[in-house]
This record gives sequence, C-alpha cells and structure tokens, in this order.
Amino acid sequence: MAARYYDGVTADVQEVTLKVTSHELLINRSEDSGVVARWPVADLVVLGDSHHEAVPPLALRGSEARLVVEDPAWRAQLVSLVPALKPLALEPVKVPPRLGAYSLAIVALVGLFWSAVEYGTEYAVPLLPYTLQAKLGETVLDELLTDKETCQGRTGLAAINRLANDLAREAGYRHEVTVHIVEGGPVNAFTLPGSILVFYSDLIDQAKDSSQVAGVLAHEIGHVVHDHPIKGVVRAYGIDLLFKVLTGGYSDILSTFGTGGGALLAMRNGRAFEREADATGVRLLEQRGLRADGVSSFFEQLLEKEPSDAASAAGIWSSHPPTRERIEATKRPATGRPAFSPAEWQALRNVCK
Amino acid sequence: MSDASSPWVQAAGSTPAGTASQPAAPGTPWSPDLSPSQPVYDGTLGELYAIYLRHLAMMLVTLGWSRFWGRTRIRRYVWNHLSVLGDRFEYRGRGRELLIGFLLALLVVAAWSGLMYLVWLYVFHEKPFATFGLFDLFSLSVVLIGFPLAYVGHYAGLRYKLSRTRWRGIRCGMAGSAWAYGATATFLQFANAMTGYLLTPVVSVNLARPRIVNTRVGTQGFTFAGRAGDIYGRYLGYYFLNIVAWIVAGIATFMAIGGTLQGLGVSSEDFLKLFAHPSLHTVVVLLLVAFAAYILFGLLILPLRCWWQAYLLRYLVTHSRADNVLFATAISTWQMWGFLVLNYLIVLLTLGLGWPWVMHRTMKLIAGQLWIYGAPQGSAIRQPADRGPGYGEGLLDMFDVSGV
Repeated sequence: MAARYYDGVTADVQEVTLKVTSHELLINRSEDSGVVARWPVADLVVLGDSHHEAVPPLALRGSEARLVVEDPAWRAQLVSLVPALKPLALEPVKVPPRLGAYSLAIVALVGLFWSAVEYGTEYAVPLLPYTLQAKLGETVLDELLTDKETCQGRTGLAAINRLANDLAREAGYRHEVTVHIVEGGPVNAFTLPGSILVFYSDLIDQAKDSSQVAGVLAHEIGHVVHDHPIKGVVRAYGIDLLFKVLTGGYSDILSTFGTGGGALLAMRNGRAFEREADATGVRLLEQRGLRADGVSSFFEQLLEKEPSDAASAAGIWSSHPPTRERIEATKRPATGRPAFSPAEWQALRNVCK
Repeated sequence: MSDASSPWVQAAGSTPAGTASQPAAPGTPWSPDLSPSQPVYDGTLGELYAIYLRHLAMMLVTLGWSRFWGRTRIRRYVWNHLSVLGDRFEYRGRGRELLIGFLLALLVVAAWSGLMYLVWLYVFHEKPFATFGLFDLFSLSVVLIGFPLAYVGHYAGLRYKLSRTRWRGIRCGMAGSAWAYGATATFLQFANAMTGYLLTPVVSVNLARPRIVNTRVGTQGFTFAGRAGDIYGRYLGYYFLNIVAWIVAGIATFMAIGGTLQGLGVSSEDFLKLFAHPSLHTVVVLLLVAFAAYILFGLLILPLRCWWQAYLLRYLVTHSRADNVLFATAISTWQMWGFLVLNYLIVLLTLGLGWPWVMHRTMKLIAGQLWIYGAPQGSAIRQPADRGPGYGEGLLDMFDVSGV
C-alpha cells in the first residue's frame, strides 16, 4: 500500500509503504524499507471525509504528521482493515439524486419562508412585546422630530388624542394612542410602531372641515389597530433576509437586486395596508355614529390639486393605491355626528398658535 | 519587461540569501532546477453543487447562521482538490471560528454604536447641530470606519484563511499588520480617487507587495520585485483609451435609445407610463434592453479593462517568487474577460445559483494559467511556531461581502 508521508516538521515528502498489524500502522520508506514511523491504530484520525476532501489525510492524534493515500482502492482496503477510518472512503456521492433532493428542499423552504413572512406576520406581530414596539416608535419619532417644531396647543392636542383613543377602543385596541402634531407640511399623517401618530399642521389647516381630519385620523387608527407599522418592518426584514440567504450572502450585485425586489414588495404590502386602513377607518367612524365622508372628500380635494394623481402614475412603485380607487372605496353620505365639537375643532385649528 | 529584471535571470545569475538550491560543484556553472509544473484542480462541478445546495438549504433553515459552517465545507472541498507539485492543500478551519469572529465584530459595532450615541447625546443633540440625527451620525461614521475596516478585514481574513491552509502538512501564514495594511490601502485609494485614478499602478503594486511578501508557507517567505514605474506606460494607454471608449459608448447608447423611441413613435410620457404599469411583455423588453446595454458596455469598455487587468496580473505573478521557485502566467485579455465579465454575468443571470460554477471556473483558470518553475527544498521549509489567529473573518463578514 503506497502513500505520501509528511512529517509535520518540514515540508519534505517521503514515498512510503504501509502495513497494518492488529495494533499498529507501520510506515516504511519505499526506497529502502527503513521504518519512518509506527502509529498506534487507536490513535489514528482521519482529517475530514471523502465527501469533502478528495483525499482526506490520515494523522496521528496530537501530531502534525500526515499520511496521504491517493489510491481510492487502497484507502478502501485500509478502511476494511481499520473500520474506524471509515471517513477515508465513504460511499461516493450520487450527485444527480442529491442535487434533485436539495433543489426540491430549497424550493419548499423558500415557499415556507415566503408564507411565514407573508402570512405568519399576521399572527406573530401581535405577540411581539409591545414595549419593544413602543421603544422603536419613540426612537424613530425622536429622529424625525430633531429639526422640527411640534405644536403644543393643549386643548387641540387633547381633542385629537381623545378622538384617536375613542376610535382605537371602538376597534378593541387596548393600548394608549398618542398623536403628535408637527408644524408645517407636507399635507400628510403617518403612524409609527407603538401607537404613535404624527400629523402635519398643514393637513389640519387645509382641511375643509373637521370630518376630513377625523377621516384621516380614523385611517391612521386603522393602521394602528392592524399593527401595520411593525408588520411592515417585519416583512421588509424577512424579505431582505430571504434574498440574502438565497444568494448565499455572497454577492453585492445580488443584494442590490434583492433590495430592489424587496422595495417593490414593500410597496405592494404598503398598498394592501392602505386599503385595509381606509376600510377600517370608515367602519370605525360609522360604528360610532360619526360622519364618515371625510376621507373620500379629503382625497377628492387632493385630486383637485393634483389631477395627474402621483400614486396612479407611479403604479407598482407607489406605496399607496390610486387616489380615484380610494375615493370610490371610501365614499359615504355626509350623515352622522361631527367627530369634533365646534370648540374642539377650533382648538385643533389653533393647535400651533 | 526587460530581461535584466526578469526573475528567471535573477534566479539563474545569483543565489539569494537562504536559498535552498543545491550549490553547484566547483568549476561548473550553477544552474537551478527550473522544471515547470502547473497546479492541478480535480474537483467536479456536480460535487461542488451538492455541497453548495446543502449549504443553501441549511441557510434557509437557520436564517443564515449556518453560513460559517457552509463556507468551511466549501473551502475544504476546493482546497483539497487543488494540488501543487503533486501535494494537495488542506483546509483545517472550523465554522465556529468564523462564528466567533463574527460575534466579536458584532461587539465592536455595538461598542461603536454606543460611542456614537454618546457623541450624539453630548454634541449633536443640542442646537445648532440638532438637524444631525442619531441615524445620520451612525450611518456616516459607519461609512467612514467601514471603508478602512474593509481593507483591514481583507488582510486579516487572508491571514485567517492562510493559517488554516496546509501544504505537505505545513501551515501557511501571513505576517505583517492588518491595521497597517488598512491604513496604507485607505490612504492610497483616497489619493488615487483624488488624482482621477492616475495613481492606479502605484496603488496596485503597493497593495500587492505586503500581501505577497508577508505570505508564508511554513518558514518559507515570498519576495516581490515589482515597481509601479514598470507598468505605467501600459496603464496610461489603458487610461486614455478608456476615456475614448466611454465617450463612444455614451454617444452610441444615446443614439440607440433616442432613435428606438422615436422610431416607435413613443413619447417620454408613454415611456414613463410603461415603466409604472409594466406588463410581462414590458418587463421582458426592459430586461432585453438592459442586457443589450450591458453587452454594449461589455464589448466596448470591459475588454479594455480586462486588457489592463490581465497585464497587471501577469506582471504581479511573474515578479513574485518563493526562494528558488518562480511563478509565471500567460493569462490573456480574453481569459480575464471570462473571469471578470462572464463570471459576473453567470452570478447575475442565475440569481446567485451560479456561484459554484464561477468558483469551479476560477479554480480551473488558476490551474490552467499558473506556471511554477522549480520546486522548493522541502527540508528547508519548517513548521512555523505561530498557529495563527484563533478566530477569523468577522470584520470581513461585517464590512465586506466575503466570498468563499
């Protein structure tokens, strides 16, 4: 049995022959049969295995010397004599079936992962500790408000917070909702994790009546009660992770593609969230017997100002559904009680003054 | 390259200090053994894919945490299927060493985040810097430290990989400081960017030198006789031809896009509408257009780059030696194109599943294009006392895309 022997001290190579006895592996020089080493069988170790290494080296425990048997037939013979050396000559890998099995497993796992991200968040997000969500929301809020002035009118803030919490309770939501009003524009409002709502004062200033502000507020409460902000974060993270894992985490080119794909999926999620929040907002207002035509009239007002409709023009790149679609979906008669009393509405109008 | 600077001439004309070659008999001209040989790679694509797909499946199950073990398995396969002078390389790294390296890098980033929080709290939190938020500060600081740390990580990663590589049972290694390399690399790259990339030969040679001369196979070191001045002529040719090629490619692209849209009677508004509401047909057309643009870019610009890169690689390889062992490569522009461009396309078009194929192609290229002249005297190369770092590649994992 021929092999190559490295003594672990120098890079010398010795061509050797091997002989196995009941308790020893005898290593002799090929040229003069001189003894090179005697390795106790009990201390032999295989470094690696024949599925990964072309020729797994044989070593003596605790030594840096190596023995390399290139011929697979001789390796198999060695294993038959010393079964503990099995990794030297494992059954050869049957490549096609293995590739097929792993490919199927990967497809199934991607499907499972995708489903977990897409549908699992629905059930998993409410289980996330609320304190964590609140902490995340507060951090983002701090960041957003660093160079902004917030409005401090106490009566106005009390009015909008009162309605926000009434609507949240109507939906069975058990956490306190906090509304902040930022001075200036754009004409917008948004929700952060931890039941934090941010309104821009331009939205209040440009509203034709209190029902529009109430409509937008109810829409944002829709986001709150459905945990949309945190679901969005979890889904975006999940999809990003899937792309990274699928590409082996190796390629920045693919990460770029992944980020693009992830952004598109986030937009699609965003449109679904907006539709759900629209429907919930209108339902909550109706359940409380309040005027529910504010959202659609607010959208009509937006459309009058910008007839081209940015959301519609952006198509799949928009985080919101087309405005006309939203108007149709939220259209309600101008019936019901006003959401704010005249005094509350006046205070809200003056919240930044 | 003049004959006087050729490493072959140096080897034949003098015996460097510490040479392992046999001394010539008195009165006879000394001639070193310069028998040529090539590395051999005998891995198969199928086997490599079997290991890679298992790694991918495990990545999905463990949400990416198995990558340390997966990388290790792939390295074990690739290393041991490559042999030089009939002796295979061994990779003895362990997944847990990579995991520890990653966790330590995480700790470094966490400590850095804490420091940045304190800076923000005491400096930027109050006006007049209030517009500079915590995220802005953290992102900017990570960009600033990430750039040099990626170089430090490259060097430290190379040290780790070499320390886990054995040839004839002897550990390889890497001397030198990763931090010094990181500082040099950052300074040179910055200076290069500031001078319109006219310093590229200086950067290439000065960054290759520490990596080559600090590499060890046991106690055997390497030497590098390259000088930036040798390659400046070729680089300047490439530099100005590249500018011309960009201008030509820009004009061609502009004319092609404008002409196509006009020919089809498509207005810019229609074009934007198509982009916002893409049908499957639009997506396919867009992909084809992007591919055509890439081909144009690939045909005009990249061959020039490959022409320079192939020349640079030939220069770096032929000016490196390990005592009486010389290296050479005749890698052509076309082969470099296959390595840089085709491999990129394979990864891109297979959405990453082509990685093992790229790895296989790369190993075949190394085996086919590297020539080794002479053989080391084994008894002169001893096992080093240094076992290398206990963990590795954390910075590389954190700040850079670290391939296998």
